Amino acid sequence: MRGLLLLVLAAWAPPAAAQQLLDWSPDEVRAVGRHGPWPPPPVRDPSNRVSGTPAGIALGEHLFNDPRLSADGLMSCATCHQAGRDWSDGRAKGFGTVDLDRRTPSLWNVGYAHWFGWDGAGDSLWAQTIRPIVDPREMGGNAQRVAGLLRHDKDLACGYQRAFGGKAGDDDELLLVDAAKAMAAFQATLVSPRTRFDAFRDALVAGDRAAVARYPLSEQRGLKLFVGSGNCDTCHFGPRFTNGEFGDVGIAFFVRPGEVDTGRLGGLARLAGSPFNLLGRYNDDVSGANAARTRHVQRLHANFGEFRVPSLRQVGRAAAYMHDGSIATLEDVVRHYSEVNPDRLHSDGTPLVRPLGLSPQERTDLVAFLRSLDADPPPRPAPPPLCP
Amino acid sequence: MRIVLACLCLIAAAGMARADQELPIFDAHMHYSHDAWTVVPPKEVVEILKKAGVKRAMVSSSNNEGTKMLQDVAPGVIVPELRPYRSRGELSTWAKDPTVLPFLEDLLSKRKYVAIGEFHIYGADADLPNMRGVVQLARKYGMFLHSHSDADAVVRHFQQDPDAKVLWAHSGFERPEKVREMLRRYPRLACDLAFLTAHASNGKVSPGWREAFLEFPDRFVVGTDTFTPERWHYVVEHARWSRAWLADLPPDVARKIAYENGDRLFGGAR
Repeated sequence: MRGLLLLVLAAWAPPAAAQQLLDWSPDEVRAVGRHGPWPPPPVRDPSNRVSGTPAGIALGEHLFNDPRLSADGLMSCATCHQAGRDWSDGRAKGFGTVDLDRRTPSLWNVGYAHWFGWDGAGDSLWAQTIRPIVDPREMGGNAQRVAGLLRHDKDLACGYQRAFGGKAGDDDELLLVDAAKAMAAFQATLVSPRTRFDAFRDALVAGDRAAVARYPLSEQRGLKLFVGSGNCDTCHFGPRFTNGEFGDVGIAFFVRPGEVDTGRLGGLARLAGSPFNLLGRYNDDVSGANAARTRHVQRLHANFGEFRVPSLRQVGRAAAYMHDGSIATLEDVVRHYSEVNPDRLHSDGTPLVRPLGLSPQERTDLVAFLRSLDADPPPRPAPPPLCP
Repeated sequence: MRIVLACLCLIAAAGMARADQELPIFDAHMHYSHDAWTVVPPKEVVEILKKAGVKRAMVSSSNNEGTKMLQDVAPGVIVPELRPYRSRGELSTWAKDPTVLPFLEDLLSKRKYVAIGEFHIYGADADLPNMRGVVQLARKYGMFLHSHSDADAVVRHFQQDPDAKVLWAHSGFERPEKVREMLRRYPRLACDLAFLTAHASNGKVSPGWREAFLEFPDRFVVGTDTFTPERWHYVVEHARWSRAWLADLPPDVARKIAYENGDRLFGGAR
């Protein structure tokens, strides 16, 4: 491997003509390489017996788009997670029966996550899917309503039978869970397309100089900052550009006078109290191995006001930003990290977040790199009938 | 009817007993800095402390005005601590800022403080002139040094003044074995447990820390560390969490760590 890297570097001696390629050290090549390949292989969720099954996915897509799950029959999951808006809603803050305090997260690549929601109150995608359906502030639905649809709606009942191998029974809560598992199976198929960055990353790792040089210099400089002095990849790690964990990045978390969004700390309390967590009876993984994270997660004082580190894929298409949509543009997000107020950051050891003090050119480069993580998804056809 | 009344009386008595038995807290690590004053006004702070059962709180603030504001509304509750920062962002620059010592001397000439801190200092920086000056000021005015530091810096504080009184913020984020070693070595060292969770989980005290608390029951205090304004809204839950793990210790040790040590070391409110 070392030999290969040396060869790659030797082949990249600065050309006499205008350089279209920065020098990339072996460490930098390794760091960039860790952000791929893309897409990763599909994952199946052992806690969900219809994960990855065509019939489960088909039922899930229909349920995802069905407004009858909500109390007033007007709101489906797709009302806020719109395919044409990168599976979010394009608003700074979400809404349901009332205006909400957090931004609607995009569902791109959500099947690869291990904590769900801005506060990680869900430890599986299906458990997280139940929350907005029954939350009176969001869809305001309930188990009886969902179960009734699966029993009595001809198409959904047929789809249920195909997905789960039997007719919908008389346990409402179990049917709510099954509906959520089908919707989770569908959501796990939402994988963002390959991007300019992915082509660059693969070429860099393969030592394909010609392909590497197609990646614009500004984006290369931004990427160098991202994996280098910016230290961004400590949290925005791996192919999804997130470590899937939680952080306090210096954003205020008052939601109104006298009230705060407790973030991860509250999420942990909700996780522990949920009948749908992986320690409960609805986990289809009888070995319980997938519940280890839930069993061992520890509450920390630092969790107060921490929010999930979001993926950066499709980030340029996902305004507004941060858990509360408090930053309107990607340029302003980069400015935030450049000028973050150290007053708000606790000092214990080396701080993960510190003001980067970026020059205007560096900010431009970093934004250019981040926009290279965007790609237009192909048009999405309407779902075929469940039981034609 | 008599039975109902008897039941109600029993329920009321049980409620009063719970309130009486709630362990008071001396919170030794609080900040009320410039960015908190409007979003959590002083009267709201006092309400939060009351709701949390915090009988006294040692408070510092960048730029020290916040401490005065709280003392004005709750003189019997607030134990004042002098902070060498005018804004919290100075935590990385204060040690080499020539204006810091005159700033502190001016404030000390006007008001009484129990401690200087919380300041941030690490390793050999603890021998810088500003830090030495702070150690001397603490000696002159009989104050604690509230030091957010590594063990190396604490050693240097005591080298500069063997009679110094040091409150080691966050117990240095150290392992309990190291904390015990330092407590054995320096009889005038006390430790706060602010922002630490390693010592307790689900209401149980971790083995290494249990030994530390039992060996040095007179040397630990609790603290919430309200380093951002939002964290004032964590005080109630933090007090509840603290009482849960303190209940896993012998009652006399729990009382000491909860409030008796704070009262004894820092002398109550001024």
